[in-house]
Parts: sequence; C-alpha cells; structure tokens
Amino acid sequence: MRRLQRIILLVLVLFPFVFMLGLSLGRDWGYPRLIPATWTLEHWSSLMSGGNGLGASLILSLGLSFSVSVLATGLSFWGSRLVAYHPRRNLFLRAAYFPYVFAPVILGACLQYFFIVSGLYGKLGGVLTAQLFITIPYGLLYFSSFWNTRRKAMEELVYTLGGNTWQAYRKVLLPTARPAILTCFFQLFLISWFEYGLTQLIGVGKVDTLTLQVFQYVTESNIFLAALASVLLILPPVILLWLNKRYLFRLNTEYTTP
Amino acid sequence: MVSRLLKNWGGPAFFLLISLVPLLLGVGYALLYSLGLVGVLSEGFTLSHWESLLRKSSFWQTMGFSFYVALVTIMLAGVLAASLVLRDPKRFRQPTPSFLMYMPLAIPAIVMAFFIFQLLSKGGWLSRLSYKLGLINDLLAFPDWINDNYGIGIIVSHLLMATPFFVLFFTNIYDNEQIASYRQLAYTMGASRRQARWRIELPMLLRPAAPTLFLYFLFVMGSYEVPLLLGSQSVQMVSVLTIQKMQRFNLENIPQAYVTSVVYTMLVVLLIALMAWLSPKKQTS
Repeated sequence: MRRLQRIILLVLVLFPFVFMLGLSLGRDWGYPRLIPATWTLEHWSSLMSGGNGLGASLILSLGLSFSVSVLATGLSFWGSRLVAYHPRRNLFLRAAYFPYVFAPVILGACLQYFFIVSGLYGKLGGVLTAQLFITIPYGLLYFSSFWNTRRKAMEELVYTLGGNTWQAYRKVLLPTARPAILTCFFQLFLISWFEYGLTQLIGVGKVDTLTLQVFQYVTESNIFLAALASVLLILPPVILLWLNKRYLFRLNTEYTTP
Repeated sequence: MVSRLLKNWGGPAFFLLISLVPLLLGVGYALLYSLGLVGVLSEGFTLSHWESLLRKSSFWQTMGFSFYVALVTIMLAGVLAASLVLRDPKRFRQPTPSFLMYMPLAIPAIVMAFFIFQLLSKGGWLSRLSYKLGLINDLLAFPDWINDNYGIGIIVSHLLMATPFFVLFFTNIYDNEQIASYRQLAYTMGASRRQARWRIELPMLLRPAAPTLFLYFLFVMGSYEVPLLLGSQSVQMVSVLTIQKMQRFNLENIPQAYVTSVVYTMLVVLLIALMAWLSPKKQTS
C-alpha cells in the first residue's frame, strides 16, 4: 500500500514534466489522440539554429534573472543588516511584506507613469528595476533572521581584535553567510525567472523573456513551441533544485527561508 | 559623522527607497488619477470615475470572484496538505518524497496554467482520455472546466502549486513545534487518535501557519497570469480586470483601472489590519 502510494505520488508529480517534454517533441496531435501522431526534434533543432527566437529569449531571461538576483542578493544582504539592528526593526520587516501582498502586476500598473517619464518604459533596465522592487524586500525578509545576537557578537569580536568593517565582512560575515547567500540567490533567481505580469507591463512586450514567449505561443495556438518554451522555463529551476538539494541542504543546517 | 548617519538612517532610508517609496508613489498616483487630478483626461477634482465604477455590479463581481478563488484555493490546499502531513508526518522528511514535493515548485505559474489548459480544456488530455474510455462521445460533451464562471481551471492550477508548498511548510512546522511529542503526551493521558489529531496536532499546526496561509490567500487573490489564461471573460479576477482596463484603446477606462487598483489596495490593507487585530497578541511579562 505504501509502495502504491509512493508510485501514485511519483506519477502525479512527474506527469506535468513528461507531458510538456512530450508535447515539445510532438506534431499532429489531433483529437482524440492521447499522444502526438508524430515525434520530431524539429522544435528543438530550431531552438539550436535560432529559428524560433526561443534561444535569444532563453539567453535574455538567464541574463535578466542572473542580474536581478546578483543585485538583489547583494543589496538586500547589506540593507538587511542595517534594518535588522535598527530599533524599529519589526516595523520595517512588516512593511517589507507589502510589495508581495499587493499584486506585483497592479503595482506595475500604478508605477507605469513613472517608468514612462524616467525613460525606462519598454526597456530591459525598466524591467530589471521593476523586478528589484519585489526581489529586494524578499531578500531583506530572508536575511532578517541571519542577523542575530550571535552574528553581532562575532562582528564585535572582530572590532575588538582591531579589525575594520571590510575585514569583518570579508573574514567573518560573508563566509558564515555563504549558504544563506546562495539559497537567497537561487530563490531570487526563481522569482525573476517566473515573473510574467511586471515584465509584460513594464517591458511592453519588447523585453521578450521566456514567460512572455509561452503566453505568446499559447495565444497563437502553437502548443508545441509553447511546450518547448515551458520546458526551457522548467529546466533551470529543476537544476537549481537538484543543486540545492545536493549541496545546500547539507550546508544549510541552521537556516530556513522566511 | 557619515558612518553614524549611515548606521542610524542608512537601513531605513534604503528600505524606504526600495520597498515603500515605489508603493506609495504608485498608489498615490493611482489615487490622484482616479480623482481626475493628474493624467491626460485630467479636468480637476471629480468623483465621477469612482461613482461610475462602484455602481457597476461587474466590479463587485470581480472583487467577490477574486476573494472566492483565493478562499477556495487556500481552504482546499490547506486541508489537503494538512491531511497528507498528519496522516504520516515522517513521510515528507524522507529524501525522495521531500524532493518530489519540491518538484512542482519548479513550475512557473504561466507554465502551470498552460498545462492545466492542455489537461482540462474541451480538447485537452482528460477529454481525450474520457473519449477513449467511452465516457463521452464528442469533445463538446466534456464539461467546461476552463474559462468557466466558477474558476475551476484557476483553482486547480493554484491548488497544484499551493499544496506541495504547504505540505513542505506543514512538515517543517510539525518538526519545529515538536508536535509528535505533544501527540505522544496526549496518547499517554488517554486521548484517542481522533482527539489527538483534532485537539492537539491540527491546532498546533494551523496556528503558526495562519500568517503564511493568509499571505498565500492574498497572493492568489492578486494573481495575474493564471486567470489571464484560464479565466472567463464574463467574470474576471482583479489583476486581469485592472490591466485590461488600462490597455484598452478607450482612454475613459484608464481612470477606472486606477480606481480598481486603489480599491484593491484598500481592501488588502483592511484585510491585513483585520488579520493583525485577530491574531493573538504576544504576552508581555
């Protein structure tokens, strides 16, 4: 019974992945066929040759998410320390939830005017800035539990022994924060990677990330290319998940997500 | 001097700049636009945009529909996840089931919506399977689960994303709160299995989970890509309605989009205040 439950769970979880991969390799899927009539590598080979523009979108999405996660991880790590030791810490941390609580796309709609006047509307820089508005508060919340009395004592010990702020960061804080920084980086990468509404709204469709491509192919009823774009979207998170499980779960014994 | 300023005000200033300033600017602009004080159609202070939108039953349907979808999703996901965890709390601590629960979290909302569309639509995989099994004799006989007025496709989509998240979350709480030892204590004191589950395990699991359940509720209520793909045209969710009003060619719709944004913001603030008021206060000794 237990074995049967495990098999059912395995099939349920893996079905969407197999389904998407199958569709990306298929052609001629007329009703009522359960699987496509023809199997082909043409969608994948057009990805390699750059014929469908998905390769360019993949590179753009990777670049954007990587930039957002590097910037947001760095800034939130620095900012969270200042917030965590502030007397009004709890107030600030509570307020950091607001960018999530409001739908990001509604926030984007309200901020549209400011992106237009600043010349960032329809630009990659605009999408990057908009994504920072939601990723940095997440990073702040994430790192808030890192800055505890133990870290403060460690930092003060560095100063007592004659070290400066740079040395405290380089020799003590950053090495002890490595697993937390890596996990935060992965999570922020995923927030940016999954983002659709803000990117579509602030990028005006000109910043053609993979999430926009999925939607575009779906509206064009090109389900095979939509499935291919979906597989490309799922692949990096699965790899990160595997890396996370393999390396970080071992390192990250004292740390939990916000 | 500079380092002292940075120490005292650097954190809050940075935080305000990134988190609250964009939010306040955005909501402030939306409010001014909705009152006719800024924007291309600005003709001075007016409440006409508010009046015309708030009088529309479709607007309240949108708000109610968003609330209903979020509530049903969270209730179903919470019940499913809690029953899975309480049935066998050790299961999701094992490497393979735990990894399997993480897997659906790797699927972006837009991809999940596309998958559900391909699964539940009239021409989708379940319809094909039903045809092969002889349950239906035509694709039109398959029920409307996509773009329907009950938001079935939207709810299923969110459910598939939320349940694994809450299974992992509840497992974490079960360990951190040491619920197993309290359950054991209840058994020692003569509680039945049912009593231990309903009076010990479930309240101990749900109390610390309540803020996250609430935040997820708000997240679903404001979701965009799933209802955009799977929602109906007659009853829309709030994000979809706002963006559609904003992107229509008729400029008269833009102030109404901003009214929707402001009303949604007020509703969220109200719900947060209510949640904060209802949550148990910490004991001060």
